Amino acid sequence: MFLTRSEYDRGVNTFSPEGRLFQVEYAIEAIKLGSTAIGISTSEGVVLAVEKRITSPLMEPTTIEKIVEVDKHIGCAVSGLMADSRTMIDRARIECQNHWFVYNENMSVESCAQAVSNLAIQFGDSDDDGAAMSRPFGVAILFAGIDEKGPQLYHMDPSGTFVQFDAKAIGSGSEGAQQSLQEVYHRSMTLAEATTSALTILKQVMEEKLNSSNVEVMTMTPDNFFHMFAKEQVEEVISKIS
Amino acid sequence: MSLSMEGIRPHYPDYSNAPMQRHFSPYADNGGSVVAIAGDDFVVIGADTRLSAGFSIYTRDQNKLFPLSKTTVLGCAGCWCDTLTLTRILTSRMQMYQQEHNKTMSTVACAQMLSTMLYYKRFFPYYISNVLVGLDNEGKGCVYSYDPIGHCEKATYKAGGSAGALLQPLLDNQIGLKNMEIIGDSKLTIEKATNIIKDVFISAAERDIYTGDSVIINIITKEGIKDDKFELRKD
Repeated sequence: MFLTRSEYDRGVNTFSPEGRLFQVEYAIEAIKLGSTAIGISTSEGVVLAVEKRITSPLMEPTTIEKIVEVDKHIGCAVSGLMADSRTMIDRARIECQNHWFVYNENMSVESCAQAVSNLAIQFGDSDDDGAAMSRPFGVAILFAGIDEKGPQLYHMDPSGTFVQFDAKAIGSGSEGAQQSLQEVYHRSMTLAEATTSALTILKQVMEEKLNSSNVEVMTMTPDNFFHMFAKEQVEEVISKIS
Repeated sequence: MSLSMEGIRPHYPDYSNAPMQRHFSPYADNGGSVVAIAGDDFVVIGADTRLSAGFSIYTRDQNKLFPLSKTTVLGCAGCWCDTLTLTRILTSRMQMYQQEHNKTMSTVACAQMLSTMLYYKRFFPYYISNVLVGLDNEGKGCVYSYDPIGHCEKATYKAGGSAGALLQPLLDNQIGLKNMEIIGDSKLTIEKATNIIKDVFISAAERDIYTGDSVIINIITKEGIKDDKFELRKD
């Protein structure tokens, strides 16, 4: 299998005879090495929960930032190469601000995902078409936001494909987590229910023992918009699940 | 050689050393007036149809109202070539927004976009008096007026263009009920707003040579945009 790929897996802009772009597929594989992130969208709002891998006891856990604010009404969780995610988040923030500047309204979550997707596919190894990136991004993103359509959750992978989800898991534990999400999700879920479910599932798929310093939780609601859980709030949810 | 030429034929520019000046005036004032009045669930906008340059008239039948969406109309007066360019760009921006965001641009968003578009030409402005009207996200009528470099003001009534300064005090009195001793509590209806627009244009046509011929009126409600036309004096 490796032999058949060897000819075509180098160029990011060369299709293999079977019609595949290996570098993009590898990038999608790369995010399966990343830490798990879960998003659940309910009628009350969206919740994002991610695991933080504390690889050393000497590490300062608060410096790992996997859930960030894009605009007041949009937040996102990332999994994969964190450095790559900075560029994507930067673009998302710029696009949201630009939309506000030009149209004096909040950018919709879908448009924000679209704007980031436009950046995600600007890879290639030619120099002539401007500042092209040499490889696809190694990140998957969950966008959680509130717009005129209500609370929404979007998922985007390194190929730039973005799809709306009711509940979605990305990262290393995503397969198991997605299965669990499918079982636990229902349309009339409350936000509190979703938050506990997200952390319960995260606990199941995490290698480390779940505690208040190795997870990040954020809720996006029509009233409070982006709200990052404080340590105490996370502990409160954790106490409910164990 | 230049020394000997100097002073002999100073009035021949080809033989003079004095700096040569050329003039190009990129702007024209083609006149025209726009009046808009907003109500609780409607907005009425009217513009005359005369297009002129100095003492001559290019046409007596030029529509200066540009519907941008089902709920938004722009009225333009001033430099006609700038109006043509601006409205074409606006139309394409409306379409691009529709395709990019899968929704029609709201009047409020359009008002902000027009402001930024005008300001982006801060140092070579579109020489246009713009009055943008429409229904906001709650279905309420609204009027936005602009200066040529993009300053935007939200109002409930506005007169712009060559007779703008002439008509604004009239609207202040009739719509804004300024300086009125006895104020009735009658609500503004579409009929009343339309009649006031017709009246003020008759007055404008009496005094302003750049306003006349006829008025095209657009009435915007949640049902859509309705057209109306009204004749003015043609001299």
